[in-house]
Amino acid sequence: MEDQTFTNSTYWKSIDEKYQNEGWRKVAENEFKNSPYSEFLNGTNRRDFLKLMGASIALASTSCVRRPVDHIVPYANRPPEVTPGIANYYASTYAHAGQGFGTIVKTREGRPIKMEGNPSHPMNQGGLSAMAQAQVLSVYDPDRIKNPAKQNENGEFEKISWDDLDEQVHKQLRSGGVVLLTSSLASPTTEMAIKDFFTGFNGRHVVWEPLAADDVMNGQEASYGQRVVPRYRFDKAKMVVSVGCDFFGTWISPIEHMRDFMKGRKLNSNMNKLVVFEPSMTLTGANADTRLMVRASHQVSVVMGLLYEIIVKQKASRYASDGQVLAALKKFENVAAEIGVEADLMSAIAKDLWANRGASIVVAGGLAGRTENAIALQIATNFLNTVLENDGQTIDATNIPVKSFEGSYAAMKSLIADMNAGRVKTLIINNVNPVYALAKKFGFEEALSKVQMVIYMGQHVDETARFAHYLAPDHHHLENWGDLELQKGVYSIQQPTIRPMYDTRSMQLSMISWAYQAEVGPARLKDVDSWLDYLKNAWKQKQSEVGSIGPFDVFWTNFLKEGVVDTSNRNGKRNHGGTTRKFLLSSLNKITKSKSDGTELVLFASIGQYDGSYANLSWLQELPDPVTKIVWDSYLMMSPEKAKELGVTDGHIVEIKTSSDVVSVPAFVQPGMHKDVVALAVGLGRTSVGAVGDGIGVNGFTLVQNQSGEPVFSAIPVTISKTGQERELANSQGHHWMEGRQIVVQATIKDYLKKADANIHKHKVFSIWPKYEYKGYRWAMSIDLTTCTGCSACVIACQSENNIPSVGRRFVIEGREMHWMRIDRYYVGDEKDPQVVFQPMLCQHCENAPCETVCPVLATTHSDEGLNQMTYNRCVGTRYCSNNCPYKVRRFNWFAYDTIKKPLNLALNPDVTVRSRGVMEKCTFCVQRIHVAKDNAKDENRTVKDGEIKTACQESCPTQAITFGNLNDPESRISKEHAQENSYGVLEEYNTVPMVKYRTKVRNTEHLASDHQEGGHS
Amino acid sequence: MNNHLVKLGLAVTTILIVGAAFAFFSTPTGYNNGYAPEQPIPYDHSLHAGTYKIPCQYCHSNAESSRHATVPSLNICMNCHKSVKTDSPWIQKITKAHDRGESIPWVKVNMLPDYVRFNHKRHLAKGVQCDTCHGAVEQMQTYYQKESLSMGWCIECHRRPENNAPTSCDTCHY
Repeated sequence: MEDQTFTNSTYWKSIDEKYQNEGWRKVAENEFKNSPYSEFLNGTNRRDFLKLMGASIALASTSCVRRPVDHIVPYANRPPEVTPGIANYYASTYAHAGQGFGTIVKTREGRPIKMEGNPSHPMNQGGLSAMAQAQVLSVYDPDRIKNPAKQNENGEFEKISWDDLDEQVHKQLRSGGVVLLTSSLASPTTEMAIKDFFTGFNGRHVVWEPLAADDVMNGQEASYGQRVVPRYRFDKAKMVVSVGCDFFGTWISPIEHMRDFMKGRKLNSNMNKLVVFEPSMTLTGANADTRLMVRASHQVSVVMGLLYEIIVKQKASRYASDGQVLAALKKFENVAAEIGVEADLMSAIAKDLWANRGASIVVAGGLAGRTENAIALQIATNFLNTVLENDGQTIDATNIPVKSFEGSYAAMKSLIADMNAGRVKTLIINNVNPVYALAKKFGFEEALSKVQMVIYMGQHVDETARFAHYLAPDHHHLENWGDLELQKGVYSIQQPTIRPMYDTRSMQLSMISWAYQAEVGPARLKDVDSWLDYLKNAWKQKQSEVGSIGPFDVFWTNFLKEGVVDTSNRNGKRNHGGTTRKFLLSSLNKITKSKSDGTELVLFASIGQYDGSYANLSWLQELPDPVTKIVWDSYLMMSPEKAKELGVTDGHIVEIKTSSDVVSVPAFVQPGMHKDVVALAVGLGRTSVGAVGDGIGVNGFTLVQNQSGEPVFSAIPVTISKTGQERELANSQGHHWMEGRQIVVQATIKDYLKKADANIHKHKVFSIWPKYEYKGYRWAMSIDLTTCTGCSACVIACQSENNIPSVGRRFVIEGREMHWMRIDRYYVGDEKDPQVVFQPMLCQHCENAPCETVCPVLATTHSDEGLNQMTYNRCVGTRYCSNNCPYKVRRFNWFAYDTIKKPLNLALNPDVTVRSRGVMEKCTFCVQRIHVAKDNAKDENRTVKDGEIKTACQESCPTQAITFGNLNDPESRISKEHAQENSYGVLEEYNTVPMVKYRTKVRNTEHLASDHQEGGHS
Repeated sequence: MNNHLVKLGLAVTTILIVGAAFAFFSTPTGYNNGYAPEQPIPYDHSLHAGTYKIPCQYCHSNAESSRHATVPSLNICMNCHKSVKTDSPWIQKITKAHDRGESIPWVKVNMLPDYVRFNHKRHLAKGVQCDTCHGAVEQMQTYYQKESLSMGWCIECHRRPENNAPTSCDTCHY
């Protein structure tokens, strides 16, 4: 890092910008990335254009001027809870592959249109990930399986009826050897039904998922004899060290982690500190106070090195005289030099950890941690936490551990063995896709041919479904009932919010039906009419267990209303940790040093794609990756040094060769990568998911190594070579130029505490016009850059709320993306090892808005409540406003995105106009929500209360970095935020008077241990 | 002066004038006042609202609670027509549809473009009477659009100082 205090930092968005490279400069100097005339350059000239215009005038004159006849089709019987024009909200739960969230689903006229986080859910506490928010799109996915089907000899699926399917399936099931393969369900009642099912049919339940957390469970088992995924309490940790673990992005429960972490991110001398050692740049690393790059294979050495510092060098901890421990640490005596970290820094971090023992946390795991030596990394980390007395404090494995991760590769391994041995006669697969996500070398696909009958229950005819004899499509989770226990004692209800779109049947009802027809299984399974009955019966039994007395109906209604029953919170006890467990020192024998040389490949799960299940959702494909900002593609991240060595730049296709596989993919030069590490995302390269997701990128799962059934995702030795081909990457950022202006501001906590407005350059501005007096409301926003992690949940929230189209790869390349809210990512410092700052950027609703003065038709004007309003029907599309906007937040509809493939149109928010071609649009501060709140306030003859209006981005934000409200109310939170000394407006010097203000990013670069108070490193 | 330039200038001016005139006269400015389409069932407002004096909101029951006044669902028709005038073929058509859980595709009369948001509830709460915008519905055998529902017509009322109504663009356009 060049400048430790950020006083005169130079920020840059891309390496090209940093060095003002020729080609980039050309693009940056243009106001728009591509010219509108580019449409005409291929073949159409001006004369043709005039001809076309003439033709359209002629056509217009012949068409009828009478408006189209429209119909109003009322309900036959209107359900009493539905009032057209008024939204209903239902508490529900969404869980996918272990990650679960309490949700509030907004429905209009019986169709879900928006997912929000449930604020009373103890885990996500109101925040919701991008993936969860995109679920309103997935229920309307046109490529879903629409009916039960049977595969014929030609490999085609023929529609059959449920009766026919049941007839054939239940007979087959009676012959035994049944296996139900699912992902982690975390549903107590579904699991009960499965158990009941297997008392009727001979067989077993196998739980697997591609991004299983079984490395954590294996490590816990070895260290403590307890196979569990603990709950990580970042809210209680003052010193957080992550070793390759992306706990903000994709690991275990990221939304909860972010929320909890930010509780300790207070701007005082007690501010928490985040140190990240990682091989490739992740969201967590981008948020680190101190970030250190290490090889993936050196992660064990990092943890052992810290242990060595504490136990041997500093002679702290009661283990300092334990011979067994000292023997295990001996090999890691001089690791600092070996892994390329300064020895002083290593010992400073160890000191900080020890000084905060009991209030620190060390995490490792996720895909980057799954090297060949994954178990060693977990055991070492567990031991470090035990040494630091964190177990039972910040690591809760006994009171409220995570229950949602159950899937393991060991289970898959035994399943494959059973299949090969012919012990599996019927395989029922529910919503997992092993043919895609399990590399061929694991042998699943081959073993599948030895199974007599494969029944697939899923949403799409995906890679695995292609091998199925029968499709018994499951409901989408928004169509189905269910319950979940995401953490021990935290029960959430999953309510359906729409009638099933197609002829699907819930997996649970399928099991109930088959048991009924075969006349097997316990009465409670086969003698119910529906899955809901079974669920309710189960909860009738469970009601007293969760501490509820009184009539069941009251309990049930309340459960549906609240969405959650939290038994872990009895007597306010949720906040205590677990009990301290005894660490089994014998497990230290399993720790070996990994060997490392050459180039290492790290596979990672991206925020948008995760395990690849939702590849058919355009929102997620077009969600810029928080770090790289690339959309719609796979790419190999590599350091600038590596790129130089290979002689490649962005978009040059390189070949990745492991000992067994070869994959070709474009290179992307990513600052902050370890020079010997390259990284590739899994979750792309689907071949059978639907029109949107097929053929996007390459399948990173094929590079996963098979270590006798255990997967190796990280530190895979590879050779990279240049192929000479190129493919342009769709990068949503990097083509703008800041010209050295103050856009993001950072300060250290030390400077901030001395002077709260540290590093903000203030400008004297004056206006020759008198100020407008806002008499009623005056809407404004504040965004705290310290708590913003860049997780991008707000981007999808905004897209869902405001009917924002996806434009596809080609048009992102042409700079025509439509997101109203984007997260700008800035680098500061050396391109080999930069720091990262995220800044959400949206319409600033300037009081003196430059866009308004140049609109020739008054389509964009200022409201008397301070909103920069956009009147779509007035807009003629000159794009002058976009040209004149210094923030580049205005978006132009180059095409008629309003023709949406059915039934995706059902996901549209009816309160927001769907814009047509030729119209400019931008953030409205969710004016439709302002109207609803004002409407309610007027009904009650009052003014809008502070906090009553939440913009979509604000509502979804896991860390509550966004504040919105009425600036004319001096008591409102927004007034107080704007009055903060570290609050600044972007490009204030132009006197645009933005109504969105940012609070400086404050980093804790201090050392926490007392003898290091004046520290700091470079 | 260059003769060609004069000719070109004349040509351009002519095209502009013709184009402007064309644009002005060809766009629909009639706003459909008087639009009285034939409905699938010849529902007679003058009978229901006029003769029998059924209050508007008995059928358009959401006008007070929602943005939309809403055309009644069939079960509301059936409240009376289960026993009233059951011999009429039109009533039988409704009964049949209702019993089958089907609906009647009424032809929309008052149509605002999609980019205009109108809130019935707010106007009712302010004390605006239905007939201010919809005319004397109790006299209409076939319902028709009374007012132009143009922006000028809306604004005329919103601008009156005594109404104290908002005139920001985002009142209706968002």
